[in-house]
Amino acid sequence: MSYELNVAHLYGDLMNTYGDVGNILALNYYAKQMDVSLNVKVVSLEEDFKSADYDLAFFGGGQDFEQTIVSQDIQTKKAELTKFIESDGPLLAICGGFQLLGHYYIGADGEKLPGIGALDHYTLAQDHNRFIGNIVIKNQETGETYHGFENHQGLTYLGKDERPLGNVVSGKGNNGEDGTEGAIYKNVYCSYFHGPILTRNGDIAKHLLVAALHRKYPDADFSQQEALPIPATF
Amino acid sequence: MSFRSGVATFAGKSSYWFLHTFLHGGSSLPGKITLKLDPNILRTLGAKYDVIVITGTNGKTLTTALTVSVLHEKYPAILTNPTGSNMEQGIVTTFLNAKNPKTGRPLAVLEVDEANVIKVTQYIEPKAFVFTNIFRDQMDRYGEIYTTYQKILDGVALAPNATIIANGDSPIFHSKELPNPIEYYGFDDQPDTDMKAKPNTDGVLCPNCEHILHYHSLTYSNQGKYFCPNCGFSRPELTYRLTKLGEQTPTSSKFEIDGHPFKIQVGGTYNIYNALAAYAVGRFMGVTPIQISNAFNANQQVFGRQEVIDVDGKRVTIILVKNPVGLDQVLHMIGTDTHPFSLVGLLNANYADGIDTSWIWDGDFEQLADRDIPTVITGGERYKDITFRLKVAGIPDDRHIVEPNLEKVVEEIKKVSTDRVYVLATYTAMLQMRKILADKGYVKEGLGL
Repeated sequence: MSYELNVAHLYGDLMNTYGDVGNILALNYYAKQMDVSLNVKVVSLEEDFKSADYDLAFFGGGQDFEQTIVSQDIQTKKAELTKFIESDGPLLAICGGFQLLGHYYIGADGEKLPGIGALDHYTLAQDHNRFIGNIVIKNQETGETYHGFENHQGLTYLGKDERPLGNVVSGKGNNGEDGTEGAIYKNVYCSYFHGPILTRNGDIAKHLLVAALHRKYPDADFSQQEALPIPATF
Repeated sequence: MSFRSGVATFAGKSSYWFLHTFLHGGSSLPGKITLKLDPNILRTLGAKYDVIVITGTNGKTLTTALTVSVLHEKYPAILTNPTGSNMEQGIVTTFLNAKNPKTGRPLAVLEVDEANVIKVTQYIEPKAFVFTNIFRDQMDRYGEIYTTYQKILDGVALAPNATIIANGDSPIFHSKELPNPIEYYGFDDQPDTDMKAKPNTDGVLCPNCEHILHYHSLTYSNQGKYFCPNCGFSRPELTYRLTKLGEQTPTSSKFEIDGHPFKIQVGGTYNIYNALAAYAVGRFMGVTPIQISNAFNANQQVFGRQEVIDVDGKRVTIILVKNPVGLDQVLHMIGTDTHPFSLVGLLNANYADGIDTSWIWDGDFEQLADRDIPTVITGGERYKDITFRLKVAGIPDDRHIVEPNLEKVVEEIKKVSTDRVYVLATYTAMLQMRKILADKGYVKEGLGL
């Protein structure tokens, strides 16, 4: 392979509940087709995340208990994660990962738990209800349609400088009210789409990989990678 | 029996007779009728029995069947519930169908859905509970593992004197202080090392201090001889130990428990756990190791979930898959086959299958990539998801047949180059496949479970 990307799988041993690892597998699948090899490392509790060490990061969703523990530990990584995001580091965050990049979320027992506030959203909780089911959204900028499955109690409200990953065509989305689903900020993509969002939406995998390549190899020509066709898988 | 219970029992039994005789069915409706007439009916029906409740995510059915065989070596009268009747109504029906015991106290060995344990213990104090394991399982229906365990414990709290016989290799079963007597079973056949579970594993936090657990030895998922390097939390002392693991094939396993040799006619490490659980219950109830060995040898039909069907000379094995840990174990088991085989993956996403197909990404299909499987067929209502899963796992396009229509899948199976074919199917896909094979005369009608 001509190119190499270092990928941080944030809390991959704790935030892995809904097929999240499928995103790493899909990244790898498309990376190979782009002549790129990935070195994936799980960065977990009491382990350092250094912004300069990574070209791409993935942060999945977990169970309530695990997410509570991660909410504490991630504060030690707040500065470096924020640095990574502000320096246009590509990052995909799903469910709990999405929530923890924001200011706070309300846990299963109603307690307010901190995120790292790198993105400007916050998350409340529904009373005894979850949004569960298939969901379709449309990204207004690219015109791409994304398919997924959502299952979340959280109600997330986007802040300034964030735009949705897409507008809800069918399903509930971030909060069931404002028609938004997920978030985009710089090269950060967030979503409630379960686990393997990239397996059904290869376009997002391609955006992440291309962004990481341009950032790591600013002088290289990636027109071929950008032209990689992504056949529908759903 | 009170007048009300008597009427309710009569109504339930009559409806069972009617359904059974005229409609060839009736596993939960009689229970439903009886419960309507007398919601407390289990108290009356269960009072005559010593009850053993078997619960957990995976392995309930086989553990229950094996336990019944083992206990039959010593106890003549044992009541048990058929597969799928593990909720309150099915359990009531099971008691309704029972012939009145003539002498002594008969046993009832019941497979009980995790959330329904409390519906049994409200009325009956069991003699023992068996906890097989708790894994992620179709979370759109069941919730997270800690929630599931709490549901079980809510039921157990009403029976503080019942002995718990638990899988000691599963950390969650050592996470709460309970008043009950507890006996643990587990694997103790490996020398101690120091390792962690692979990253994509659920339930690896120490319940005491919330650090990541380490293991002296691991069987699969988060099960093994765990310990916490931070606080010293560790696997409890085992009462029943798997002391040696012998030859494993997709259709058989040899092993020793407490030094006694056993053989079961079914593959998969997970089935050894089921046998270990049945052994533990047997020993708890005074059955000897020799008797247990006889029971394991004699009862091949309980392994019906892996029935082999002859389709024009192909040995087709249909295996139900429903959650990531189960899927992983099935993939590992068929990987022990020394003969070449073809693989069929059938995915549906109806309610009984779990409507979220994300879990297929947690199954480690990659372990099959270097087996050079000559033909892989993917189908079912969600064939696109399973097709892409196998593509990503490294199955080359020229060996991969995509065929959503199950009738045509059967035709493709007849054409593969191998004699052996493994069909991994979700619940409703398995039912559809069996119906097609039955219509074509390859299997007798019915579930065969």
